[in-house]
Amino acid sequence: MTTLIKLEIIRALRNKKFMFFSVIYPPVLYLLIAGGADRKPIPGMRLDMGLYFMVTMAAFGAMTAVLLGNSERIAKEREKGWVRQLRLTALPGRGYVAAKIAAAATVSLPSILLVMIVAAAVKDVRLEAWQWIAIAAGTWLGSFTFAALGVAIGYLATGDAVRPISMLVYFGLAFLGGLWMPMTILPQWVQNIAEWLPTHAYAALGTAVEAGGAPHAKDIAILAGYLLLFAGAAAWLYRKDTRKA
Amino acid sequence: MTSVTAGCVQLTLPGSPRNREAERMTTTATTTTTAAHRAGPAPVVSFQRVSKSYGAVRAVAELHLELYPGETVALLGPNGAGKSSTLDLLLGLRHPDAGAVTLFGTTPQRAIAQGKVGAMLQSGGLMEGVKVRELVKLARDLHPRGYPLDQILATAGITDLAERMVDKLSGGQEQRVRFALATAGANDLIVLDEPTTGMDVSSRQTFWGAMRKQAQQGRTVLFATHYLEEADEIADRVIVLHRGRVLADGTAAEIKARAGARRVTFDLDEPMDRTALSGLPFLTSLTVSDNGSAAGSGRRTVRIQTQDADATVHALYGLGCYPHNLEVSGLGLEAAFIALTTASDTTPATAQETAR
Repeated sequence: MTTLIKLEIIRALRNKKFMFFSVIYPPVLYLLIAGGADRKPIPGMRLDMGLYFMVTMAAFGAMTAVLLGNSERIAKEREKGWVRQLRLTALPGRGYVAAKIAAAATVSLPSILLVMIVAAAVKDVRLEAWQWIAIAAGTWLGSFTFAALGVAIGYLATGDAVRPISMLVYFGLAFLGGLWMPMTILPQWVQNIAEWLPTHAYAALGTAVEAGGAPHAKDIAILAGYLLLFAGAAAWLYRKDTRKA
Repeated sequence: MTSVTAGCVQLTLPGSPRNREAERMTTTATTTTTAAHRAGPAPVVSFQRVSKSYGAVRAVAELHLELYPGETVALLGPNGAGKSSTLDLLLGLRHPDAGAVTLFGTTPQRAIAQGKVGAMLQSGGLMEGVKVRELVKLARDLHPRGYPLDQILATAGITDLAERMVDKLSGGQEQRVRFALATAGANDLIVLDEPTTGMDVSSRQTFWGAMRKQAQQGRTVLFATHYLEEADEIADRVIVLHRGRVLADGTAAEIKARAGARRVTFDLDEPMDRTALSGLPFLTSLTVSDNGSAAGSGRRTVRIQTQDADATVHALYGLGCYPHNLEVSGLGLEAAFIALTTASDTTPATAQETAR
């Protein structure tokens, strides 16, 4: 099982093109959205644009890398029959899911760090050392939830259908979770739904730290719950998958 | 065309009214086999009246099959005979509609999770973006036991490919890597689905050598193939599948013998009634051709396929004719195989006769 995890990580690092775009894309988006913003707090919040979007763009970038990368690659591997071959080994379902999450996490970590570096260098974001570390760690660990979601989607959808489905989930979650614009400017009913989405909880980990506090237990619980749900579904789908694809 | 007598070869004829009787024959024969093995080890693979349909297509029909430790078994059959479906059921990739499949006395899934099975699928893709060595190491590490890495590479004949990226392999090289994956875990049962597809003759020879080595180490090897020479040369047991049923089960030699696998050729000078020739005993086919090169001489060449060449030739002299250039030769498994499958496709009238 550790061999598979190692191999998946090596493979992710070897895929230079995917690595490059996954890492470059979030800081570029950050600069586009928050680049020209002033230091005034966002209405209804204590954070300004530079701070808020540092966290959400790091989250968004990590989510892009793990969710889209995983779902598409897995659908492709199923189509080629590699997963079928792997199923004939003694590898347990959880080993497969763990390896895929590990590979995704390898790609998401540098993209998270780069957004933070750009925020500090260009937008003069200044935080305490513990805040930097907590945000980086929280955003990285939180990305595991979306990596597991990516594995599950890769198993639910086949070849042609996987992109539209993962895109829909990805944009829907990103928008409703407040990764693109602060939730406070959206209608109340959207906020009520969003509160229970993994993306909202994900962004809330970082913003809570930026505001000077610890992440809310509720957000951590929501993310952990979704992680268990997605990873469980992914492992179950891996073992159950009998289609030739 | 009748081609069945009692013995190791059982002919089951789908669609015939006497089918039940034929099935009963099969069952009796199988029971005898089981009894013979009762003193020995438990079966590695067991199919108990397994059926599987895809919509209206019956891929596997009440298949009854047992494989014992150390056997090298070829699963032979034309396309659509149910070979791949049988292997899918065996490996737990599909579930039977009826009947039970057990590996090592447990479910296929559990046997695989215990690391007892190494398999190579026809449709099995490879992981991309990794080196051959890394991939083989993965297959080895996923199983509880496993050979040293260099030994696996050498046995599969891919030592020189070890540092190559998997994406950059040719079809035949990919097959050898798949074989390495199937054997890396030192598993008790090795299942290979058309393993030599896409290989050239020389790499096929190397491959067979590697397969024999596995068998010599006491592993049970089951491979599906439509290369008849492969079944003939390697397997010590050949199972012919046709329309999802076991059509014949025995050694290659037995199947050849039972399928009327002797060819008798001779020339005749004197005119001979064709019906008299077709009345010869143990005959399975007859062709009479005018010998074009000796025009006017009236010499004709007769080609016969028979199940018992001795009896046929004896009866031929009994007809009072004098055959020239008499030749008796064995048929390859290919001809035997065609004889078996076409025999089961013939009309119900012939089928009744066969079942009797």
